[in-house]
Amino acid sequence: MDKLRIAVSGGLFALLSIGIVAGLSTGTLSGFGWDAFSLLCPFGAVTSMIAAHLVVPRGVVSLVLMVAFIAVFGRAFCGWVCPVPLGKRISGFFKSANRRKVEQDERRERMLDIARHQLSCGTECSECASCKQRRAKLDSRHVVLGGALLSTVAFGFPVFCIVCPIGLAFATVLLVWRLFANGDVSILVVAVPALLVLEATLLRKWCARFCPLAAFMNLIGRFNRTFRPVIDESKCIESVSGRPCSRCSMVCEAEINVRHPEFGERTLDDCTRCRACVEACPAGALSLPLRSGRGVQEGPVTIEDNVDPSVLASKPAGE
Amino acid sequence: MSMEDGKKGARPAVDAAAVSRRTLMAAAGCSVALMGLGALKYAGTPAQLRPPGGQDEERLMAACIRCQKCFGACPRRIIVPAKLESGVLSVRTPVLSFDDSYCDWCAEENGGVPLCVSACPTEALHLPPEATAEKTIIGMAKIDQKTCLAFRDTGCRYCYDACPYDAIELRTDDGTNPRPYIIEDRCNGCGACESVCVSLTAGALASSASERAVVIRPIEKA
Ligand code: SF4
Ligand code: SF4
Ligand code: SF4
Ligand code: SF4
Ligand code: SF4
Repeated sequence: MDKLRIAVSGGLFALLSIGIVAGLSTGTLSGFGWDAFSLLCPFGAVTSMIAAHLVVPRGVVSLVLMVAFIAVFGRAFCGWVCPVPLGKRISGFFKSANRRKVEQDERRERMLDIARHQLSCGTECSECASCKQRRAKLDSRHVVLGGALLSTVAFGFPVFCIVCPIGLAFATVLLVWRLFANGDVSILVVAVPALLVLEATLLRKWCARFCPLAAFMNLIGRFNRTFRPVIDESKCIESVSGRPCSRCSMVCEAEINVRHPEFGERTLDDCTRCRACVEACPAGALSLPLRSGRGVQEGPVTIEDNVDPSVLASKPAGE
Repeated sequence: MSMEDGKKGARPAVDAAAVSRRTLMAAAGCSVALMGLGALKYAGTPAQLRPPGGQDEERLMAACIRCQKCFGACPRRIIVPAKLESGVLSVRTPVLSFDDSYCDWCAEENGGVPLCVSACPTEALHLPPEATAEKTIIGMAKIDQKTCLAFRDTGCRYCYDACPYDAIELRTDDGTNPRPYIIEDRCNGCGACESVCVSLTAGALASSASERAVVIRPIEKA
């Protein structure tokens, strides 16, 4: 699935790049289409229409389509289409194996800690709100989203478009191509990719922490009820045997704690449908069904019997 | 409730509302940076040669999301991304380059309906219904008499022959060979003259200039 995702987003980027090189008017992910048909970046459509005080039919149609897509598939765009995670993979490639392992282990320990804690809390899961998805809040991405909107309103043009990494990625293709094909030497051939790299290094974890597009999708994703990860409690190791597992939470690319959503940095609204959790689950307990309801927990689960008695003994009874 | 009161210390280090202060500060920094970038608007940007429909600079800058669609839409490949010289905020917006060809309003390829305008999804490029090629002023041709070959009596008249709008006249000043002059109220800046000018390439006569003898200049707003 991981390979498939790379193939989809990479293939799309390659196709659009060919369009740029061949001089087709297919545009980029910011504005894609032929002739009258056009899909605009929803955020670009909004900021452009706000700034120009225009209601553009193609902008409105794109916005409606994209909102409908997000309402059904959440942030699938991030997992399957956007080229930025591809770039992150490439840069991750240069990370030392050692460093990668340390980071992985850290995450593993963190998730296990949470699982252990939750399993030994001594409260019946059905009574405790901890494992339910926590209420969606605003986070750092929404701060950037706010700044992007505010600057658009204040200065009357889509300021974020100038630095959007998706736009910069396609601009790099165009500029490099022009350098070779037209001998068009410009400082931009260096400056544009440099800005892209700067953003990627200075703002590590761009997608999870800063991307205003992700924030935008998160806001709409709050209405999403379809194709969300759901754990089958009758199979999940944690609920069946009371042993910590949380492998699903160790792999989630959106930094969601799939097993214990309350402890994730992100809520399930941020699921990119990468299916990493589905693949990581040793018990086959995870799926992304059409209808999935709100949280992970569906109905009461009793695990108290399975909990290490020593842990229970250390608690004042009845609490 | 037991958890919240007595056992808080037992909670794992990663707490629920774990957006770290550092991340929030960085995000706030991004917002401030975006505001700063927006404020560059007041530094002013030089006038540009825009494709048809991009003459309202205010509208173009407000609506263009730099999607690159118009670059590919132009059958003559004359729309190029603006460079840093056009101002930081203009970078990657569409400007015209007449190195190889000129703008005929897609007359040849699309019956006179500009393809760049119909391709632009945000309507940053937009023509009022009554607009015509003659009345849509992209820029103004200027001839540099120091580098123009005709002013060295070579009889060069490529630009004159190329102009689709009869905006160049040939005048014979006191018995010299004919020399081209721009008739300013006919020129719409289509770029045909610039695209054929040979002043930089005509063998021994080529000057050391970096521009062709006739170039289209943007119209500076009053
Ligand atoms: S790992 Fe699962 S929960 Fe996380 S983004 Fe991928 S599909 Fe969604
Ligand atoms: S990976 Fe599967 S078994 Fe393990 S915690 Fe997640 S859902 Fe349960
Ligand atoms: S009108 Fe046609 S030839 Fe002129 S710039 Fe637009 S696409 Fe190119
Ligand atoms: S097609 Fe329109 S929005 Fe896209 S780059 Fe050209 S002028 Fe800008
Ligand atoms: S730009 Fe040159 S070719 Fe075009 S109308 Fe003006 S003088 Fe004529």
